[in-house]
Amino acid sequence: MTNTVSPEKQAFYQKLGEIAGAKNVRTGEKATTPYMIDGFTPQAIVFPTSTEQVASIIKAANESRKTLIPWGGGSKQQIGPCLEAVDTVVCLKNMNRVVELEAGNFTVQVQAGMVNGELQKQLAKTNLSFPLEPFYAESSTIGGEIATNASGPGRIMYGATRDLILGVTVVTPTGDIIHTGGKTMKNVAGFDLCRMYIGSWGTLGVITEAVLRLFPLPEVSTGLYITFTSPEDAFRLVGQLLNSPLTPTAIELVDSVAGHNVADAIGSSLNDDEVLLIVNSEGTKGDVARHRKDIVSLAEANKAKSTLTLEDEKASHAWKTYRGVHKAMLGADSSTLQGKASVPISKLGDMFQQLKKISDSHGVQTGMTAHCGNGILYTYLTDKPEKLVNITGVLKNAAAGLGGFFLVESAPLSIRKEVAVLPPRNDYQLMRRLKTEFDPKKILNPGRLVGGSF
Amino acid sequence: MIAQNFIKDLTKIVGKENILADLKDLIAYSYDATMRQEMPDVIVFPHSTEHISAIMKLAHQGKIPVVPRGAGTNLSGGTIPLKGGIIIEISRMDRILEINTANRRAVVEPGVVNLDLQNALAPLGYFYPPDPASQKSSTMGGNIGENAGGPMCLRYGVTSKYVCGMEIVLADGEVINIGDYVEDFPGYDLRGLFIGSEGMLGMATKLTLHIIPKPEASQTMLAIFDRLEDTSQAVSDIIGAGIVPGAIELLDQKMCQVIEQSVSAGYPTDAAGMLLIEVAGLADTIEKQVQEISQFCQKNKVRELRIAQTNAERDALWKGRRGAFGSVARICPPYIVCDGTVPRNKLPEALHKVGEIAEKYKVLIVNVAHAGDGNLHPLILFDATNPEEHKAAKKASEDILDTCIAMGGTISGEHGIGLEKIDAMHSMFDPADIAAMRKVKHVFDPNDIFNPGKMFPPETEVPRPVKERTAQR
Repeated sequence: MTNTVSPEKQAFYQKLGEIAGAKNVRTGEKATTPYMIDGFTPQAIVFPTSTEQVASIIKAANESRKTLIPWGGGSKQQIGPCLEAVDTVVCLKNMNRVVELEAGNFTVQVQAGMVNGELQKQLAKTNLSFPLEPFYAESSTIGGEIATNASGPGRIMYGATRDLILGVTVVTPTGDIIHTGGKTMKNVAGFDLCRMYIGSWGTLGVITEAVLRLFPLPEVSTGLYITFTSPEDAFRLVGQLLNSPLTPTAIELVDSVAGHNVADAIGSSLNDDEVLLIVNSEGTKGDVARHRKDIVSLAEANKAKSTLTLEDEKASHAWKTYRGVHKAMLGADSSTLQGKASVPISKLGDMFQQLKKISDSHGVQTGMTAHCGNGILYTYLTDKPEKLVNITGVLKNAAAGLGGFFLVESAPLSIRKEVAVLPPRNDYQLMRRLKTEFDPKKILNPGRLVGGSF
Repeated sequence: MIAQNFIKDLTKIVGKENILADLKDLIAYSYDATMRQEMPDVIVFPHSTEHISAIMKLAHQGKIPVVPRGAGTNLSGGTIPLKGGIIIEISRMDRILEINTANRRAVVEPGVVNLDLQNALAPLGYFYPPDPASQKSSTMGGNIGENAGGPMCLRYGVTSKYVCGMEIVLADGEVINIGDYVEDFPGYDLRGLFIGSEGMLGMATKLTLHIIPKPEASQTMLAIFDRLEDTSQAVSDIIGAGIVPGAIELLDQKMCQVIEQSVSAGYPTDAAGMLLIEVAGLADTIEKQVQEISQFCQKNKVRELRIAQTNAERDALWKGRRGAFGSVARICPPYIVCDGTVPRNKLPEALHKVGEIAEKYKVLIVNVAHAGDGNLHPLILFDATNPEEHKAAKKASEDILDTCIAMGGTISGEHGIGLEKIDAMHSMFDPADIAAMRKVKHVFDPNDIFNPGKMFPPETEVPRPVKERTAQR
């Protein structure tokens, strides 16, 4: 890739400097290489400090027909269909303030570049929490989490991103600033554009601010770490738990390949084919005690090999280790493909077994974690690209056979270019019309999500 | 007016027993709870997705307006056929297709009545949380069109949270699926966009819903206060402490009196305000929740606290609340119901201002509110034969909405914009916000066939330079 910059292009970068201040525009290989994405090295990185600056940048890009890549913490930039072009990265990390905390309303308004982990620290001071904890919460930004519809284990109790975001301020692909939603719990004024922006991957606008729903920090919380020699027993327990009036805040499962760090952290171990089920509960002392009691007896009834109850620091250490599994699995080998299966909740055990069988028969090493209350399973497959391309086809069919889908999240570029990362649907055409209507010049994240050609 | 041969073509699709076009029928389908009335040309009752798709193909060809309609309990003009055309009534698509508790899903046709679904789920120990007051007659399709709320939405969230996927028919008759049975489908959340779109984007023909196990224990409390300020402050205190009961409904004295005239709910008629509180949770700990709530009521000088002792008593208490609008209609049919919503902690202030507005315009306002959510429903009563009074009532309702906006709230919490609140859209939104909504409409329905004339103020209208914009602006 050459870095010769034409005078016309130069004018655009100069304009960026006028908008955001010269010190907030970086060009040159050293500055831009860390932002390399899908094989493209951007020409410039701009760090706006306000919604108005973002609007001016997008207007300028429309005039010069430059493609912009919105950027938060960057943790999910390698996911999904490949970008078609990259010119300038718009990084929101300098828009990282709390705009307004309304504790009495249990809402906070933040700028989109605020890092989730940082926000939690600030909220904890007033005994509040924002119960969204995706894989990279320590480094991912609120705006990025909203744009990618990121969520974590707590969704079983608190809902997914779409249930926790009350409103977003967005700059559209043509540079208009719009406000969607608000700060009330209920709001049906006009179309629900807020929900449209959640999970739109920066293709319909750049999210610059958001109003989040907060919850009080629980009085107590506890984690149960239950080991099973047979996954079937674990999934039976899950079915019984979900059919009960109990309201755990996480029901996570990890297999022996992905879970050895977690087993270490709780001073235990996982033999081949064993699985670890983690059930968190939080609330008042009485509620948590009841959960513990009932879940322990469910574990016994389902032939658990061992059950460990963790509280306080031990619980948070183990939980942190579990939350690090994703990073550890992806970091261990750059050729790893991370896929996601979503199936009807009662079919999760079947999906787990089929994944194991298929990866065994293909001789591909596989690790797995699952959000058991939501029918979602993450798998980490490590092997040569050809073999991974092959196996994704088989996995797609398996998930479809169970009434769900399998998609490729992150994978080496060569694989993402070769396989159809998204499952078939009959509403993509409408989605693409939406993209074209909002972004006629293909300025924002062209190719990402449904913006590409297929 | 549509041509007779068009009605013939419709008849070919659904059969003559599924079409109404007599004047008396057209009148019956010309209005809702708002004071507007416009006549449709024809009403059709499809039985299947294929019917609706075929009807839409015809409408698309002739560019004839179509208004989707459930039970017609809407409160903002959603089903009024402003530009005539076809009303597609979904009541004959009323089958529950699947209930699968292990998957926490129910699949239904849009004409299924909310309460019928609840009754099918209850024996299995499950429920579908959104419970609009109209649940006895309102349909799931209509609930989705308006993104309906209800008392229990305080704890569980509104319709939008409980719809996983939908089969919809687009304006040209194409049938697509948005959302999914399973979670985290890829692509834009068209489902989210569709819910609450007031019949303007398409027609849902099949709905996949999220259902959950019923709470193990629940109790219904009645808290009676001598001052309305204390009533609302108690709500604020309970919510502020992080307690989330199933529901907290607030009713003022006049509301209680009106309800007691038509339903013997057991409400006090001499108290300034009362709270109807549903507490839900685990059997071991529910008592503690009740105690905490009681303490906050006592702190705010509650006159009397009652806990329903029998199911009959509990049902009566809830029957009163659910019949609130109907009871008001019995004594004074013309009324304006406001649906303004404020941040949760602003409820006392908002109710106080509603009282001031009533005095200012000398109108009678009775109050009922989904108080825990900050969702007000002031009902402004007036004499329809007195134009001055009607005007004053309208002015008062505008003032209430502006007050809600100024407090960081919204013009509609659950009833929708329809025709009734079109004028308030400019107070709530910037032109760019409305332009973005129009883009969505254009993508789904480029010829403006679905429910034309709703939600968007005329483009030529100059926005009122209102509003102390909230911090979000």
